Amino acid sequence: MNVVVCVKQIPDPAAPGALDPQSHTLVREGKLILDDSDAYGVEMGLQLAGDAGEVTLVSMAPNQEVSGVRTALAMGAAKAIVVSDPALKGSDALSTAKVLAKAIERVGADLILAATESTDGYTGTTPVQVAELLGLPSVTFAKKVTVSDGKVRVERQTEAGFDEVECPMPCLVTVTAGVVEPRYPSFKGIMAAKSKPVDQLTVADLGLDASSVGAAGARQEITSVAAAEARGGGDIVVDEGDAHERIVQFLEQLKLV
Amino acid sequence: MFEWTEEQVAVRAAVRRFVEAEVVPRVDDLEHGDLPPYDVIRAMYSSFGMDQLARERFERTLAERRASEARKAGAPAGAPLGAATAGAAPSAVRSGSARAEEPELGEPGAPAVAGADRSARRGDAGSAAMTLIPIIELCRHCPGIVTAMGVSVGLAARTIMRRGTADQMERWGRDLVTFEKIGAWAITEPGSGSDALGGMQASARPVDGGYVLNGSKTFITNGPYADTVVFYAKLDDGTGTPRRSRPVLSFVLDRGMTGFEQSAPMRKMGLHSSPTGELFLSDVHVGPDRLLGAEHEASGSDGRQSAKENFVAERAGLAAMSLGVIEQCLALSIDYAKNRMLWGKPIADFQLVQLKLAKMEVARLNVENLVFRHLEMEAAGRPMSLAEASALKLYSAQAASEVAMEAVQLMGGNGYMAEYRVEQLARDAKVFQIYAGTDEIQVTHIARELLGR
Ligand SMILES: Cc1cc2nc3c(=O)[nH]c(=O)nc-3n(C[C@H](O)[C@H](O)[C@H](O)COP(=O)(O)OP(=O)(O)OC[C@H]3O[C@@H](n4cnc5c(N)ncnc54)[C@H](O)[C@@H]3O)c2cc1C
Repeated sequence: MNVVVCVKQIPDPAAPGALDPQSHTLVREGKLILDDSDAYGVEMGLQLAGDAGEVTLVSMAPNQEVSGVRTALAMGAAKAIVVSDPALKGSDALSTAKVLAKAIERVGADLILAATESTDGYTGTTPVQVAELLGLPSVTFAKKVTVSDGKVRVERQTEAGFDEVECPMPCLVTVTAGVVEPRYPSFKGIMAAKSKPVDQLTVADLGLDASSVGAAGARQEITSVAAAEARGGGDIVVDEGDAHERIVQFLEQLKLV
Repeated sequence: MFEWTEEQVAVRAAVRRFVEAEVVPRVDDLEHGDLPPYDVIRAMYSSFGMDQLARERFERTLAERRASEARKAGAPAGAPLGAATAGAAPSAVRSGSARAEEPELGEPGAPAVAGADRSARRGDAGSAAMTLIPIIELCRHCPGIVTAMGVSVGLAARTIMRRGTADQMERWGRDLVTFEKIGAWAITEPGSGSDALGGMQASARPVDGGYVLNGSKTFITNGPYADTVVFYAKLDDGTGTPRRSRPVLSFVLDRGMTGFEQSAPMRKMGLHSSPTGELFLSDVHVGPDRLLGAEHEASGSDGRQSAKENFVAERAGLAAMSLGVIEQCLALSIDYAKNRMLWGKPIADFQLVQLKLAKMEVARLNVENLVFRHLEMEAAGRPMSLAEASALKLYSAQAASEVAMEAVQLMGGNGYMAEYRVEQLARDAKVFQIYAGTDEIQVTHIARELLGR
């Protein structure tokens, strides 16, 4: 089975991030890493593709960035498509979905995997838009995925528990963090990753009109950003024999008990 | 080379992630002796396919050894070849009489290059780096793990792979190189450390069907848990050769052999994640199949030469260990200096604190350059001379020890507290100046070459 995994390359969350003062979006110059939440999709893809199939990565990134993609290749993905184009600057979720969908069309996948949302953007809408553009069904929030007889069976996380969903393939599934334990790339895998094919494409290569993507095609705009409120200090309960009562009171206030 | 390649950075990132997830949360258990380090090492081996790589390399080396044995014996490959016959006095490491009074082995407890064998070291900086990077990363948090790993793979396994027959390699080497089994390498004795070969008391008396071994060893890394022990003893053939000049033989022992006792872990200053113990042998009977080095019988100089090869790799491994300790102490010190407020400002503003940081950075650069130099020389197929490797080890060990102690000082009372981690690294780093040849022994090795003696 051939699996496409959409992977996002993001600035290292450990390094202090910066916002572009004009676009209010995250500055993405410099080295990017594989979004942690995509490592689950890659692992799931590798497990489902099995020995007969393979995993293809699809990533839209600035400046032909491949650092994060190499990490996923080192884990065992076979090849990658990276789409980079100055015209993509300022893309919103839908622009991104258009690009990813076009790239995925070139591969011909039985199953497309993505994370439920990225760690740096948290839009959480791109994957289903990709499915829609490709005319494929999609299942979100998978916490377990199995494949048999041309169908995927998904345990879909809900607030109350999980739904069991069955869906014909090809289709798109978004996986939650923790759905599988991502493997460490083996030393051999890291060395092999260097020579795996990475197809670098532009908007024109995909046959997309530059005015339909990037800032030009965006239907969404960030008008302003505000700093998150600083967290207030907690209440300290000093036990004078009545601590249990005061804790119960506190929990009652929050309607937790 | 002045920086790691992109690929090496990827390896480092992967190993760092493993160390942070699998080692850091367990350091306290490892350090308090509640958790032997072996399962963590095995997890690392399997996570990164190091076991698989070692297995493949093992099979290649074994095939080469079988072929060369077959050529020598004029027999088809695969024919079983007996090991030395008893009493033939094959010498693994000869304690040359000319040097009998000199410090012989500075000898180790040492890291050595995990998994490296001759084929891996032949002009290949890539694989040398793959060995050193995990060492550096582990040493940022737990140098003891590296010692336990290095002694098993770099000393015990390597000695068997280098000096053993194909049969011995299969019997003991395979499980050691993949870390399925734990190895120890025993040369130091209560009465002889720096003078390990000359002053050795452990004896091997030839008898019908093999040898009888007696003696005791101390400070043996993995001693308490080892499945396989490479044991050095002096041939006692009753010919009246003075003890100092008797040939030194090496044998492979298995856990649980009659008359062979392995002590519980000894208490020590640091490096608690690496179990260290004593070994006691009383009339342990071994067959000739346990004697290593029969093959090298003819070439008298081989023992000394190969011991030197061992030293070089081991001392380079120590530079990598030192680098890990220094990098971590520097990072923690910078962080602390920026955040610790006194007189209304961070202590990083005080020039005496800046001096400490600057000296740590100088040490980091120097040790990193030494590690890079080692890798470059491996790549060029020109391994370091013994004196050069000794200089590298001497400098690195002292630098690690000093930097770690200065990190304690920079953090004041917090530095002295376990929670801030640098006190452990300081205690651990001290041993770098003692095992794998003390500082003083490194000096003698450097001086000997400088003075042409
Ligand atoms: C944690 C740990 C793990 C170890 N693991 C192993 C192991 O796995 N296998 C093994 O065989 N051994 C192991 N060792 C032993 C280690 O190699 C020895 O401790 C080391 O070689 C020093 O020997 P020694 O302790 O007998 O000191 P000594 O040789 O007694 O030295 C005492 C002092 O005299 C100095 N000195 C000695 N000779 C000279 C000289 N010629 N000139 C000037 N000064 C000199 C030394 O530098 C030192 O300061 C380990 C040791 C430690 C601490």
